[in-house]
Amino acid sequence: MATTPEPASSRSEDAGASGGAAGVPRTRDAVIVGGNRIPFARAGGKYAAASNQDMFTAALEGLVARFGLQGERLGEVVGGAVLKHSRDFNLVRESVLGSSLSPQTPAYDLQQACATGLEAVVSVANKIRLGQVESGIAGGADTVSDAPIAVSEGLRRVLLEASHARSTKARVAAFAKLRPRDLAPLSPSTDEPRTGLSMGEHQAITTARWGITREAQDAVALASHRNLAAAWDSGFFDDLVTPFRGLTRDQNLRPDSSAEKLASLRPVFGARLEGTEPSMTAGNSTPLTDGASAVLLASRAWAAERHLPVLARVVDAETAAVDYVHGHEGLLMAPAHAVPRLLARHGLGLGDFDLYEIHEAFASTVLTTLAAWEDADYCREELGLDGPLGSIDRDRLNVNGSSVAAGHPFAATGGRIVATAAKLAAARAAETGRTARALVSVCAAGGLGVAAIIESAAPGTEA
Amino acid sequence: MTLAAPGVPTGAPGAYRTEPLATTPGLGGLYARGAASSGTIAARRVLPGETPEPALPAVALRVEDVPTGPEVAARLAAYQRLVGERVGDALPAGFLHVLAFPVATALMVRGDFPLPLLGMVHVANAVTLARPVALGQLLTVDAWAQDLRPHRRGVTVDLVTEVRADGEGAYRGVSTYLARGVSLEATGTDGAEGTAGAHDAQEPAGSRPGFVPPLPTGRWRLPAGTGRAYAAVSGDRNPIHLSALSAKAFGFPRAVAHGMYTAARALAEVGTARGAAYDWTVRFAHPVLLPGTVDVAITPAADGAGDGHEYVGWDAWRARRHFAGTVVPR
Repeated sequence: MATTPEPASSRSEDAGASGGAAGVPRTRDAVIVGGNRIPFARAGGKYAAASNQDMFTAALEGLVARFGLQGERLGEVVGGAVLKHSRDFNLVRESVLGSSLSPQTPAYDLQQACATGLEAVVSVANKIRLGQVESGIAGGADTVSDAPIAVSEGLRRVLLEASHARSTKARVAAFAKLRPRDLAPLSPSTDEPRTGLSMGEHQAITTARWGITREAQDAVALASHRNLAAAWDSGFFDDLVTPFRGLTRDQNLRPDSSAEKLASLRPVFGARLEGTEPSMTAGNSTPLTDGASAVLLASRAWAAERHLPVLARVVDAETAAVDYVHGHEGLLMAPAHAVPRLLARHGLGLGDFDLYEIHEAFASTVLTTLAAWEDADYCREELGLDGPLGSIDRDRLNVNGSSVAAGHPFAATGGRIVATAAKLAAARAAETGRTARALVSVCAAGGLGVAAIIESAAPGTEA
Repeated sequence: MTLAAPGVPTGAPGAYRTEPLATTPGLGGLYARGAASSGTIAARRVLPGETPEPALPAVALRVEDVPTGPEVAARLAAYQRLVGERVGDALPAGFLHVLAFPVATALMVRGDFPLPLLGMVHVANAVTLARPVALGQLLTVDAWAQDLRPHRRGVTVDLVTEVRADGEGAYRGVSTYLARGVSLEATGTDGAEGTAGAHDAQEPAGSRPGFVPPLPTGRWRLPAGTGRAYAAVSGDRNPIHLSALSAKAFGFPRAVAHGMYTAARALAEVGTARGAAYDWTVRFAHPVLLPGTVDVAITPAADGAGDGHEYVGWDAWRARRHFAGTVVPR
């Protein structure tokens, strides 16, 4: 970022405080100490018998071991799972109780579809910034292999009625309403409840609307695999991942993937869209995956007292939601709205970043988001800007791979991305001697999206 | 199709006399009577010299004091869950159609109604909900037939129902039916018996070539029991909706979804944008065979003028339109 001036938000660090830009209240810093995750496994793979709690506890324990947090009472642990059984109402608290953290560490569950992990990071960071807690862990876990199976609506109503019945006769009457079709179990689906379209079909519509080509999507997918493989090979994940159940690397990673192999795959989404060429394949879409991640955040003082490293600080975040139900906007386009709002609050341009971490729900999600920011009409009409938000240097995008290669265990993705971005920003700052800034965005079901700014923040920058 | 006039109710044409019914009749018995009278009408039509020019009975049937109390609440909730309406005390326009439908059917099975009930195809529906109707209000339901007119496949007729809630005009529904092979001229011997509206006998709107589906906004996966489920909440147990076997008897390869189920679901999916009072139209094209998957586009009206929505549903694999309509707030 040699050509970029020192950011406004760093100029006002006289009290070691975040903020200072117009409209951003000044608070103390919430810093990212480090992260830990387990390798992500393909659905039905190595973690087929592991529960969300097993995986999140493993991610927590790895983090505890890495930073010597045994017996430590943290401010709180926040996380969640998207596919969660109702009996796991306290998934995160139960995981804490199963870890070596002090049992006096509070916890709560949070759920915002694929943005769960990033929203958890934002929530913990905000409490640290306000002085309500000194430390916290944010993360998430998801398993599609061990997903809860629900009973049908018919059986559910009969069981509820029977449980409320006061006499045997009434209970019998309730069960008499049961029909054979009511006994079929319901698996969780990735269909949007309000539209009945799967996430892939939704993105296929957005892909068609933006005219994103198959070649461009395959190129993003290929880069994801190559970048993630290179990062593993270089040892980047050595202090970010703890092996679990015999898995030492992300199972979905295909270092030998090639443009030819990707081009040979059959499209799986958008086949029924009239007048468009289907382009989304299993190769340029994110596979269903199992995994968990956790990120340790703290106040600068808390980290310094324990001689813990400080990689970066959470500068700010913005969550957006879009009107996708009647097709006004694409389901996964909320980050396109969140980012310009976040940038405006800090007087930043899209080009003012050293690193971009745009979650690859599908390769085309990244491309439709970038295309939207380059489109003058869209930026004026949908985002309320004067012109295009701009372009990014693609060499700074998902430089260590993203979800197409790593996989995407929904609630675990935010923690993966934040830990990666923080470590990358710290390394970039160490290399250049200047503050390095990363833009993170994660799209989510329900037309949701979260964007965050993360800046390198070596311990020395504290006033 | 006669569009609802701005004022509701409009009342039956002046020459019609009002004939009271004590209670809302049961649809099961009406279908049985309809089947019998359909046979009589068919028999009449193949006997030369005995076919007077068809004329509609100048009668409006009226049922007063139709209750919407606790006895209706559970059925309303089941209806709302099925079509995706918000569960609550408000009676969606589709539910008022359900409540008024038996009165219209009672008119169609009268001996002086000139068309056979079985074999008539519901081709279009236009509803005005002029004011919200809530559980607990007492309803008065009027039903009459009007506008018998030629159609290239037979004749169509409008069955009009109007609902007053606590004495105030609230709802007007115009259901347009096609009787195939019936002619307004008193020839009577063309022999093309309109069996039960096999699927090639639908309104031409959907079979018109050149339907290009828009980008969908939703996908409905309709299980085989969809017709039975809507029959349970609507009372409309027309055999073409209940099972593949009973549908086959009427010329359909499989059970057919109720058209009003699809229209009611589209109405529900427009959501709060429709307001508390609205106009709601639908034209039916190819029937939805069950089980089936229907792609839908429910979008703000293209002209950008009002804040209405338009919707269309189609078979994505065959690019054939099932239905299309509008929902416009009043």
